[in-house]
Amino acid sequence: MNLLVYIGRRVLLLPFMLVGITLLSFILSHTVPADPVAANVGEQAAANPEVVAAFRHRWGLDRPLPEQYLIYLGHLVRGDMGTSISTHQPVVADLRHHLPATIELAVAAMLLSLLIGIPLGIASAARRDSLFDQISRTGSLVGVSMPVFWLGLMALIIFYARLGWAPSAGQLNPRLPTPPFVTGFVVLDALLAGQSALVPDALAHLALPALVLSSYAVGVITRMMRGSMLDVLGEDFVRTARAKGLPGRIVLLRHAARNALLPVITVIGLSFGGLLSGAVVTETVFAWPGLGSYAFQSATSLDFPAIMGVGIVVASVYLLVNLLVDVAYAVVDPRIRMG
Amino acid sequence: MRSREVGARSKSRPAGRRVNRRTFLTAAGGAAGLVMAHRLLPADPARAASSADRATLVAAFSLTIRSLDPGRALAPDELMVTHAAYDSLVTFDGEDLSTPRPSLATDWKISGGSRLYTFTLRSGVRFASGNPFTSADVKWTFERVVNLKSNPAFFLDNVAEVTAPNPRTVVLRLKAPQPSILPILSSPALGIVDSKLMLEHGADAGPDAKTKDQAEPYLMGHSAGTGAFVLASYAPNQEVVLVRNPQHWRGPAALERVVIRNISEATTEALQLARGDLDIAVGIDEQNAETLRRVPGVTIRESPMAASFVFMVNMDPQIGGPLNNPKVLQAIRYALDYDGILKLAGPGATRMSGVIPNILPGALDPREAVKTDRARARALIKESGLSDIKGRINYSSSAINYGIRYALLAQKIQADLAAVGIAVELNGLPGPVALGEYRGGRSPSLFGGYLLDYPDATDFLVYLPERLVGKRLHWPASSSPAAKELAQWGDEAEQEGDAKKRVALLQKIQRRLIEVGPYVPMFTPAQPYGFRSNLRGVTFSTVWEVDFSTIRRA
Repeated sequence: MNLLVYIGRRVLLLPFMLVGITLLSFILSHTVPADPVAANVGEQAAANPEVVAAFRHRWGLDRPLPEQYLIYLGHLVRGDMGTSISTHQPVVADLRHHLPATIELAVAAMLLSLLIGIPLGIASAARRDSLFDQISRTGSLVGVSMPVFWLGLMALIIFYARLGWAPSAGQLNPRLPTPPFVTGFVVLDALLAGQSALVPDALAHLALPALVLSSYAVGVITRMMRGSMLDVLGEDFVRTARAKGLPGRIVLLRHAARNALLPVITVIGLSFGGLLSGAVVTETVFAWPGLGSYAFQSATSLDFPAIMGVGIVVASVYLLVNLLVDVAYAVVDPRIRMG
Repeated sequence: MRSREVGARSKSRPAGRRVNRRTFLTAAGGAAGLVMAHRLLPADPARAASSADRATLVAAFSLTIRSLDPGRALAPDELMVTHAAYDSLVTFDGEDLSTPRPSLATDWKISGGSRLYTFTLRSGVRFASGNPFTSADVKWTFERVVNLKSNPAFFLDNVAEVTAPNPRTVVLRLKAPQPSILPILSSPALGIVDSKLMLEHGADAGPDAKTKDQAEPYLMGHSAGTGAFVLASYAPNQEVVLVRNPQHWRGPAALERVVIRNISEATTEALQLARGDLDIAVGIDEQNAETLRRVPGVTIRESPMAASFVFMVNMDPQIGGPLNNPKVLQAIRYALDYDGILKLAGPGATRMSGVIPNILPGALDPREAVKTDRARARALIKESGLSDIKGRINYSSSAINYGIRYALLAQKIQADLAAVGIAVELNGLPGPVALGEYRGGRSPSLFGGYLLDYPDATDFLVYLPERLVGKRLHWPASSSPAAKELAQWGDEAEQEGDAKKRVALLQKIQRRLIEVGPYVPMFTPAQPYGFRSNLRGVTFSTVWEVDFSTIRRA
């Protein structure tokens, strides 16, 4: 089976998996023993049956559940995810507004994790049991075990409040003019609007939350890379490469590290999912207007269209990342696509 | 906060639940972080002066905004924005909620057996769009509110007709006398909307407005009022930006631009206020407020709220159980440690004798309040002839209002009742579930802070038999002669036009209510908030929170 067929088969499966996800999200969100009326209609208004009926009609809650689901699916295929009960805006617009902020944060955190975790893991393995290795292992253990909430607060207190090295929470200084919303990525929007002066401010605001969010992934990737490297460094082909007189750096990076990356790719994929869920907490601490805060508000308001929308987006990201991991596997190890 | 993490002695904790290592570390780390946060707050707000932009005010709230359409918005954060952008016929100054003042109406006359309210409108007022403000806008606004059948529609339940005999006069004909209509008209939900502009954006005020009106999307990004500010932008869950309306009839506000940011983490807000990156922080809790009091350049204040925190019991014996026995109810009143409860409620909270908050005319003197007397409570339990008294308290486990953690308050009540031999199980529920249980009349007992909808004591008659809260506690007027009498007094109080007689009647109602009703009044809360000390005119109203039009920098 060639690579393109393999990828094509995986892509064809995606819509079916997404429909399954919508059904699961729908059933789960409607099994909560609470009524959206309680979460969204005022105390006095809830006592008026006419107002309650108007609310149910407006949000389509007066129809049988199977009918609600089919209507939802019908709209979804046309790209309409309904209107959010908690923001009164189209869910697609809400997602378009919140998702870029989370992607910006998660991608920055992922890049930091790779840039820190992989070299650290390689260096640790190369200097096994040295002081550097001990420090690196302890650091990665701290990264894995430290609660993001606590780490975020500490980072804000030390780097923002005490040292003044980092700017305040949020995506931009609120006293600066916000660039018009085009892509939702603040840096890009600032450049598109010709407000390049905002770019350093936006990047500075991104640095601390991205660093905090990356802590877990840095720890996992470092440990995984180190372990994988130690396994590979004991293999015959590495010994052969060394026996051939190749320089140590070449053996380490070209021969060992490349082969050690395979299991790390899986961890990277899973870590990205972890970054998305970890972003909920990081976004709260850093007042980052991403998908996490939207998901939280949707859940507490029993905002079914928004809950479904978030569920579909997060699941799609997971599916996409899994697909990319599988493709990366297939690229790195031809035996996988042949199987 | 998860529901099962509170109330360690709660029987509602699932038997099989275990705390694993990660959960423990997360909880311990989070708690340690909060403690350290309080120790490490900066002592010197070094950047405050340099970053301060005098033209822009930045305020932080844990925002809950569903709609910015004044015909639909009723949550406090929503009213803060609509109050800034829309003027009503009458208003209140600062935190006062007792004396309605002229706003778009310059004066009013009451006639026709207290059923006709004739308002003279201010002349020369224009909407931010430039359209002139007339009585037709008032009539159209009120009709739209009624016909949208949304949250604020009940405000005008008693209005039979709105007429506009000339451009400067509006007449409201009521179905029955209702002196509270004046304070009701101060609500930003009844802020006057530019009807001409709204019609261009799909608005409808007719009988089918609830399905035909399409103006809300426009109003989520723009405003259409005469207010001191204009809505410049709204990003859900992120921020609201207001800019000054240069042609406001009171003259331009001192602030050019107001940015209201959504920050849900109290410590983040506190740090930013201390550093001078925020001008006003409303989401801080009491712990942060205590720390901020020591920070130079920051003022911390607690404003008393028109809300009543009351413990209540379901009167249906199948639901309330032995707790609704009259003697047991009396015992609960004497069992609670009110001093301890006030400490949990935080500075500014005051003991409440009745159900009407202390800041409203008609409230009982706090000195009349029941004092803790455990011996008497035990004697009352003995008199009840009941043994093994058990009950259950429903509450929203994650709720924190006015800096009060409901989970802690529930534990305090549980401990106080246990001290006199009443065993109550804590049933912490997610907010909407707890609310649904209460509204469905299924809560055995509960406590909560009823927040006023409009600045008048009669709003708190909801506790009477047959009324909003009474009904949810299964307390009909037919249940006893005393309940029937209370319901009748409530009707009289609502229609009484003489202020002194009204206050006397309201006080009589409350004294009787706490004798025979299923209520144990606890306290009137206060809202803690902080702001930079160079600001003047900062107030916090129960109805519309912060009024940005009165704020200026020193």
